[in-house]
Amino acid sequence: MNEKGPSIELIDVHKSYREGDRTHEVLTGTSATIEAGERVAILGPSGSGKSTLLNLVSGIDLPDSGTVRVGGTDIGTLAERDRTLFRRERVGFVFQFFNLMPTLTVLENLLLPLELTGSADGEARARELLDAVGLGDRAGAFPDRLSGGEQQRVAIARALIHGPDLLLADEPTGNLDEDTSEIVVRLLDELVREAGTTLIVVTHSRELASRMDRVLRVDHGKLVEAGEAMAGAGPRAGA
Amino acid sequence: MRLLSRASLRYLTQHRLQLVLSVLGVALGVAVVLSIDVAIQSAQAGFRISAETVSGRATHAVVSDIGLIDESLVARLRIEEDVAAAAPVVEGYGRSPLIPGRALRILGVDPFSEGPFRPYVAGGESGLDVSAIIASRVGVVLSAPVAEGAGLAPGDSLPMLVEGEAWSLPVVGLVDPSDDLTRSGLSDVVLMDIAGAQEVLRIPGLLSRIDLRIDEEEEAGGLLERIEAALPEGVTVDAVGTRSQTMSGMIAAFDVNLTALSLLALIFGMFLIYNAVTFSVVQRRGILGRLRALGVTRDEVVRMILAEAAWIGAAGAALGVGVGLVLARGLVGMVARTINDLYFSVSVQEVTVAPALVAKAALLGLGATLVAALPPALEAAGANPRLAALRSVVESRARRLVPLAAAAGAGLCAIGALILLAPTRSLLVSFTALFFIITGMAVITPGGTLVLMSMLRPLLRGLGGTLGVMAGRGVGSSLSRTAPAIAALVVAVSVTVGLGVMIQSFRGTLVQWLDGTLRADVYVSLPGPTASRASGTLWPDVIDAFVAHPEVSGSSTYRGFDLIRDGDAFRLVALDLDPRGESAFDFLSGDRDEIMTRFRTGEAVIVSEPYAYRRGLAVGDRVALTGVDGEVEIPIAGVFYDYGSEQGTVMMGRALYDRIFDDPGVTSLGLFLEEGADSEVVVEELLALVPEGRAVIARSNDTLRETSLEVFDRTFQVTAVLRLLAFIVAFVGVLSALAALQLEKARELGLLRAQGLTPGQLWRLVVTQTGLIGLASGLLAIPMGLVLSVVMIFVVNKRSFGWTLNMQVGPDILVQAVGLAVVGALLAGLYPAWRMSRASPALALRGE
Repeated sequence: MNEKGPSIELIDVHKSYREGDRTHEVLTGTSATIEAGERVAILGPSGSGKSTLLNLVSGIDLPDSGTVRVGGTDIGTLAERDRTLFRRERVGFVFQFFNLMPTLTVLENLLLPLELTGSADGEARARELLDAVGLGDRAGAFPDRLSGGEQQRVAIARALIHGPDLLLADEPTGNLDEDTSEIVVRLLDELVREAGTTLIVVTHSRELASRMDRVLRVDHGKLVEAGEAMAGAGPRAGA
Repeated sequence: MRLLSRASLRYLTQHRLQLVLSVLGVALGVAVVLSIDVAIQSAQAGFRISAETVSGRATHAVVSDIGLIDESLVARLRIEEDVAAAAPVVEGYGRSPLIPGRALRILGVDPFSEGPFRPYVAGGESGLDVSAIIASRVGVVLSAPVAEGAGLAPGDSLPMLVEGEAWSLPVVGLVDPSDDLTRSGLSDVVLMDIAGAQEVLRIPGLLSRIDLRIDEEEEAGGLLERIEAALPEGVTVDAVGTRSQTMSGMIAAFDVNLTALSLLALIFGMFLIYNAVTFSVVQRRGILGRLRALGVTRDEVVRMILAEAAWIGAAGAALGVGVGLVLARGLVGMVARTINDLYFSVSVQEVTVAPALVAKAALLGLGATLVAALPPALEAAGANPRLAALRSVVESRARRLVPLAAAAGAGLCAIGALILLAPTRSLLVSFTALFFIITGMAVITPGGTLVLMSMLRPLLRGLGGTLGVMAGRGVGSSLSRTAPAIAALVVAVSVTVGLGVMIQSFRGTLVQWLDGTLRADVYVSLPGPTASRASGTLWPDVIDAFVAHPEVSGSSTYRGFDLIRDGDAFRLVALDLDPRGESAFDFLSGDRDEIMTRFRTGEAVIVSEPYAYRRGLAVGDRVALTGVDGEVEIPIAGVFYDYGSEQGTVMMGRALYDRIFDDPGVTSLGLFLEEGADSEVVVEELLALVPEGRAVIARSNDTLRETSLEVFDRTFQVTAVLRLLAFIVAFVGVLSALAALQLEKARELGLLRAQGLTPGQLWRLVVTQTGLIGLASGLLAIPMGLVLSVVMIFVVNKRSFGWTLNMQVGPDILVQAVGLAVVGALLAGLYPAWRMSRASPALALRGE
């Protein structure tokens, strides 16, 4: 494994949201460590706080209390702008709903992160990545002309094009059929492994989880090793 | 940010309807501002060029407060004070049937004195034959534009009506200056020898002014002081241009008001832009969230949205400049006519487009667009990328903000009201207050909409069943999108209500005032250069003949002229009133009988409300005038309501006037008829008494009343045009906001279609919803429009013109406003309904 990605530390992280008059506690003092270059899957039922974890790691959101450290940097101490720049330079995102820019072509969608980071002349790299995800011939198409699977492959290419050392994927196969999921998972696995990127993938897919170095699970607001959670949860182990 | 710009430009071009209507919103705002500016400037330039051309190279002018000077003064100045360059000038106005609709300026000069002053008279370049002017008693020299307009050449005669007398003036020459400015300045000038001008203007031995040319050396040598010391009472020496500046200043309030109204058009254009940009931001919340997640900073989001707005602003400004210049051509005639009707004679030959005005309008358009786009841009950037995409979060936040917004709106209105209460006459302050109130009320509208929708719910259920309820609920449940649209529409529609009510109230007040003021049965005056006020002097023999008519039981005489004293212009009127005419005055305070007794005995004068207001005077204060025996100060006995002159009027009894001034003239005559006499018949009989070659205007009470209202309607034409433009902008606003709103719902509607909604039901749903939004906007615009009109009537008008108007609200204006909003809204629903009912539900449902 080519280990260039950052390590991630979560220390006693709390996070809650207001829903009308009620406060919903999502994370209740969770701690975890992810090693540099490690590929980790996070499982858990809907609403358990998986996506919240990704938002906290990427600096999109801040914890109510506790520390989130990425590559030694305490995300909570960064100003909003610095968090954005951190995300821009070091994080790649893959979303469940692909989230491509509808008004940019496939190639332009790939070039956008490069342009944001100020890397000039990335077109060769973009085309190379498009070839790698099997969409070399769709560079000029707009996203709405692609199938779901194709869009997700573009999204993966986009997430990796600027060489982030941390890739966050939020249910990347959640919207895809089995065969397409397989292709996407394989791609994600290969490309990340090759780049040595730290990967956190939130998923419901056991197939995807099984390909990761480690599987964590959100259980009652805390991150636990999947095995522990399954052992403790008894009848829910198979969920 | 090349790719980001590309993405946003593609967004704009993919939403063409939104784009076109946004550009149109800015364009109309810019066009209104530019056209009003150009029209006013053209009129002022026409006046200035004409004044400058007529003054020539004079540096000073000897003028009299009451307008006329004894001609012997020229010789005294030349001989006793050793003034080398002094030229007597007689000026007046007349009309020619060959050049209808325009007053011609008669300029009487002494060709032998003209050398240092007016090169086009002194000969040389123009080749004017001076001897021909002098040889012919009333010969005229026409400027080339006048000759062309009348189709005359030397040797022909110019038929002219001057001071009520018909003349056939032989054309003895033409002046055709080579430079455009002089040509333009002479475009309404008829040049005569001074004696001829005195004859046709019926002012023998009198001059309008004496032009002087005093060089620096002479001035340093105290020549000006010596001249001043030699002048009789009431006559002064002014630097050239002082008078024309004072006259130009007369239209300041008119100018400021039109400009302010045009800015109002831009302000509600801003609301439309605000709506369009907010909508585009709300529509792209998800996309903006993604960008933020990808690492696009807040600054970059703000820049992207503002860059889009700048494109819209630039395109709108460019289009607006084009439309504005076309519009200006139409408006300049109206503005010039209003100035002619109300203030002074001006001839506007061409539309003057100063590049600065174009730049100002374009920058205002661009600036207004950027300012309007700033709040949504900041909002877009401030949104948490995690929450940005969640529609439910956006909507619940929008609903939570409603009470806060209402409170903030009330606060803004209160600030506006407090500003209005400030003891100032500044129009800028008034319009700032108005802006606060408009914004405040706009911010309250979402709350108003929710209340209205909940009130309408039972009705909607009864009429439309579940679809009806859905339509109503859709308005409230997508408040983040509907609220800015409704606010923008309410502002636009309310401006049309506000302007409409103001014009209606003004007209209504004028009608009441005319009913009270016009007491005589027949009014007689000379045909004059301006429509709204009589000028010139009636012949004593004609007055005697009229008063002696068997059906005439009494008469009032009126002597009135514009007086300029120490840079202050107002109208001075001397009245010899029939007792029946005394009840014509309605005073702000005090007992009418007491006031009129003091007026009649010559103990005091009465002044009009604008006169007192503008000068901060009240009963007991004094008015200073310079008569033949020097300055006199007369106390004010009463302040009367008057809508005839915004400069203000000072009225005195004839006896007092005769004591102060040496002027036996009568400008107009009011005749009271015997009981049962037919005034139209008497008018015919009176006119038959007028000797051949003379013309008077004799009008019955009803005719004069109608004519006055015609003048009023003409003077409000510009405002009416502005109101119409406001109407169009509002209509475009309704159309753009609502069409965009519905188009954005394609997915939701596709879902409904997929679930079995027929195309017909979809039509009904869409059109009911836009209709409801229109209805809500129209209804909410009424109170807001009324508040606007209250401010315009009681504050802006009072501060601009000094008169008190009675507010009058006709149902037609309110019905029009609601109709505008509802019809616009229904039309706005048609295109989306048509598009969505034709689209396959599958396509509509397909996400990205």
